[in-house]
Amino acid sequence: MADKADVWQGTLALMALKTLETLGPLHGYGIARRIEQTSAYHLALNYGTLYPALLKLEQEGYVTSEWGVSDNNRKAKFYRLTRAGRKQLDKEAREWERTTAILARFLTPGEEAP
Amino acid sequence: MRALRAWLLRLGASLSGRVQPGEVADELDSHLAFHIDDNVRAGMTPAEARRTALLKLGGFVQTVESIREQRGLPLLDTLRQDLVYAVRVLRRNPGFTATAVITFALGIGANSAIFSIVNAILLRPLPLAEPSQLVMIFATEARRSLQFDGVSYPAFIDWQEQNRSFASMAAFANRDLPLGTGDEVVAARGKVVSANIFDVVGVQPAIGRAFGDWRPGSSDVVILSDGFWKRYFGGSPSAIGQTVRIDERPHTIVGVMPPRFTLDGDSEDFFQPLGVENMNRGRGFLRTVGRLRRGVALEQARDDMSAIARRLERLYPGTHNGVGANLVPMAGAVARRVRMGLLTIMSVVGVVLLIACANVASLMLARGATRQQELALRAALGAGRLRLVRQLLTESAVIAAAGGALGLLVAHWTASALAAAVADQFRVPGIESVRTDGMVLLFTICVSAAAGLGFGVAPAFACLSKDPNDRLREASRSATGRRAPRARRGLVIAETALALALLVGGGTLIRTFLTLRATPPGFNSASLIKADLSLPLPSFRQLDTRVGFYHAALQRVRALPGVRAAAFVSILPLNNRNNTESFHIVGKPDPSPDRGFSAVFNMASAGYFRMMGIPIRGGREFEEHDAAGAPDVAVINEAAARAFWPGESPLGRQIVLPINNEASQILTVVGVVGDVRQASLGIPPRPEIAVSPMQSHLPGSSVTIVAQTKGAPKALAESLRAAVHSANSLVPISRIATVDDVVSSSIVEPRLYATLLGAFALLALVLACVGLYGLIAYSVSQRRHEFGVRVALGAAQSTIMRLVVGEGLHLAAAGVGIGLVLALAASRLLVGLVVGVEPQDPVTFAAVTLVLVAATLLATCIPARRAARVDAMVALRTD
Repeated sequence: MADKADVWQGTLALMALKTLETLGPLHGYGIARRIEQTSAYHLALNYGTLYPALLKLEQEGYVTSEWGVSDNNRKAKFYRLTRAGRKQLDKEAREWERTTAILARFLTPGEEAP
Repeated sequence: MRALRAWLLRLGASLSGRVQPGEVADELDSHLAFHIDDNVRAGMTPAEARRTALLKLGGFVQTVESIREQRGLPLLDTLRQDLVYAVRVLRRNPGFTATAVITFALGIGANSAIFSIVNAILLRPLPLAEPSQLVMIFATEARRSLQFDGVSYPAFIDWQEQNRSFASMAAFANRDLPLGTGDEVVAARGKVVSANIFDVVGVQPAIGRAFGDWRPGSSDVVILSDGFWKRYFGGSPSAIGQTVRIDERPHTIVGVMPPRFTLDGDSEDFFQPLGVENMNRGRGFLRTVGRLRRGVALEQARDDMSAIARRLERLYPGTHNGVGANLVPMAGAVARRVRMGLLTIMSVVGVVLLIACANVASLMLARGATRQQELALRAALGAGRLRLVRQLLTESAVIAAAGGALGLLVAHWTASALAAAVADQFRVPGIESVRTDGMVLLFTICVSAAAGLGFGVAPAFACLSKDPNDRLREASRSATGRRAPRARRGLVIAETALALALLVGGGTLIRTFLTLRATPPGFNSASLIKADLSLPLPSFRQLDTRVGFYHAALQRVRALPGVRAAAFVSILPLNNRNNTESFHIVGKPDPSPDRGFSAVFNMASAGYFRMMGIPIRGGREFEEHDAAGAPDVAVINEAAARAFWPGESPLGRQIVLPINNEASQILTVVGVVGDVRQASLGIPPRPEIAVSPMQSHLPGSSVTIVAQTKGAPKALAESLRAAVHSANSLVPISRIATVDDVVSSSIVEPRLYATLLGAFALLALVLACVGLYGLIAYSVSQRRHEFGVRVALGAAQSTIMRLVVGEGLHLAAAGVGIGLVLALAASRLLVGLVVGVEPQDPVTFAAVTLVLVAATLLATCIPARRAARVDAMVALRTD
């Protein structure tokens, strides 16, 4: 566990949005598993924290939800990305890239500022 | 935007209170099912699969909780919970809740009721433009300790011309004169005002125009009040340009003031421009109002005006010696008479509220003690200290809100009833507009909130001050021999002290009123009826005309069936009239070069003193032969005899009374009569000299005709009016009343204050007794076991009773001690509220202390009897 990174709220929401963009409408368990897979199991995700995050996204209007039936015939609540959610994903992704780029430049050894 | 949308959704979810645990649980169930399927597929046993899935989720209940927190606003949710819980708890203890809410409603109600009167009279802005800029300027006179004296016309002109602080300044004076419209003549309340006064106060006539550039000598004009215009001209705009007769002279109506306009709270009927008035600097009769220049503070204006006053003192030492200027904001000046009374009563009800709060706090503490187990249990189950404090505070808030709401109702009823009762007796501007408005509502809310917090916080913390473990253990053990906690004892002592202080205040005022009522007025008011007349001066300027009218009126009134005697007088005792003149005594030097002797000058026709039952101490009273042409005579009272002829007989002595600048009248003293209370029952008689109306050259249009009747005087009102009217139809009659009523209405104010303060003091006493009763009852219930042991060991019932009553008296004694000190300091505040108050009157203090001790005895006796009847076996077995 020690070498697994914790997930904090903001990034969890971003990951959930990205997952919904990639895979289309999906239930909470699916989103959680997908996030773990994508991170190649480097993230220690407490599945329970995903649900308040999804509810928050729904309250903000970035996702909608409705009950449906899964491939293996189980009742589940499916989340779907809205148009506002797509825009928000683009925006946050860009911001994230910029932030990581700046941080990377700081942390990469050998490139001294002139 | 998105954040706001989310917040609103959460707010909505919290407010609607719809929790859908079902849906959340369904979603988590479905989540777990997926996970368990996967785990089983990966080779786990079903039980292991389920355990791992739950572990990975982070707990089912915890997840539901975190989702719920995201769904609503947690803060609001707990508040809702607290409220629901508080209401449930309070409903389960109806006795406690009712006591607390009613106690609180009484305290809040008293405050809101008095506040709505204060609000209407003192706080609501005057219907004048920028009233905060308006200042009343009075003359002061150090020698006679006058603070609100009028200013003479020439001195007013000096003020107006020399000041640098006022943008404008105007003067006015009362001038009640007969006003004739058509065939009718009425006694009208009027004011003479500087022509610019409506510019100064910033209110223009609603129709017509103001006086503009009116100058003395211009044509006679008048502006009517809205009320008078509606009464006599039916509110018709064609009134402008018509004429009315004021004091028999035709005046053209040029304007009508807007509704409810009043200069200083008198409901005036008309306004007349002020001409060049009496140039005598010694006669101050004008009130002055000024509008401060922008940026000039009241203090600067005060300095400015005192500088002018000092200059005038140097220029006219004879008349201006010791005369200063007193500046009062107009808003305060208008209600000056009632301000102190209102503020006193406001502080009294404030104290009543304090007592009520102490009571409820004490109740909360007592209840907190019996709830120790519940609170300890909740703490042990994980409720934080602050969470519990919040819960207890919510309960006090609910009580406060209920008490406040009930109090507002109480205030709504009592305030309007009180205002209606007071409005009959007092002409106070604003009293008619007493109502429960937004300000009163706001006040009630603030007071309830403050009181709710005030009495809630301390008990809430006190209840939780101990370690929950101790509390759990303690609560399950019997409390043996424990007396009420120190905090509650302190509260009860404080309550008793405050109640005693209020009782002393109420008692002092009641005693003052009783003393006033028992004061012999020096005359016999029974079977007398009076009518105030105002003689139109132009035709009554000649003595002959006046005498002719006096004779005609007396003849007609005396001829009425049921009338025994009748007489004219200018100053009927307690009738709010006064007339002081300065005179000289033949053979005695004047007391100072500029002023002669001064005395109240009255006018009384033949037989007046006999009819009034005023004893003749020496010489004779006026007789029919004291007429024009006969030697001018005077009758003086004993105070005058003592003051002007100490140790000698005044009979046959002569005085010189200046009539105007040229002439004076020499009067010979022919009689001395007993002193009467002229100005007020509480003011000792002043030296007074009476002349006969048949010989009097004193100017003055106000006279009163008094008739002695055989039957009930009230029944004669109409025939008295008709008789006077038949003597001269141009003389208006203003007030007809029995002299008994005149006397009793002269003590209306002391009676009102005594009633109000007495009632609130009684309320305080009841509240304090309830508090003491509650404490002793609690203490008895806590000591049941101890009493049981005592009884078992052979204690007599009387011993137990003495024990309990002793505890109560102990507290009461401490309260009385502190209360007496408080009262000694506070009763001084009542001086000046009512004439004749004797602060620190030992009889009042003793009586009030007795009442309080008796009441506390009563309050402790009931629980004491219960304690005495404790059955030893039952008490011991229950523990």
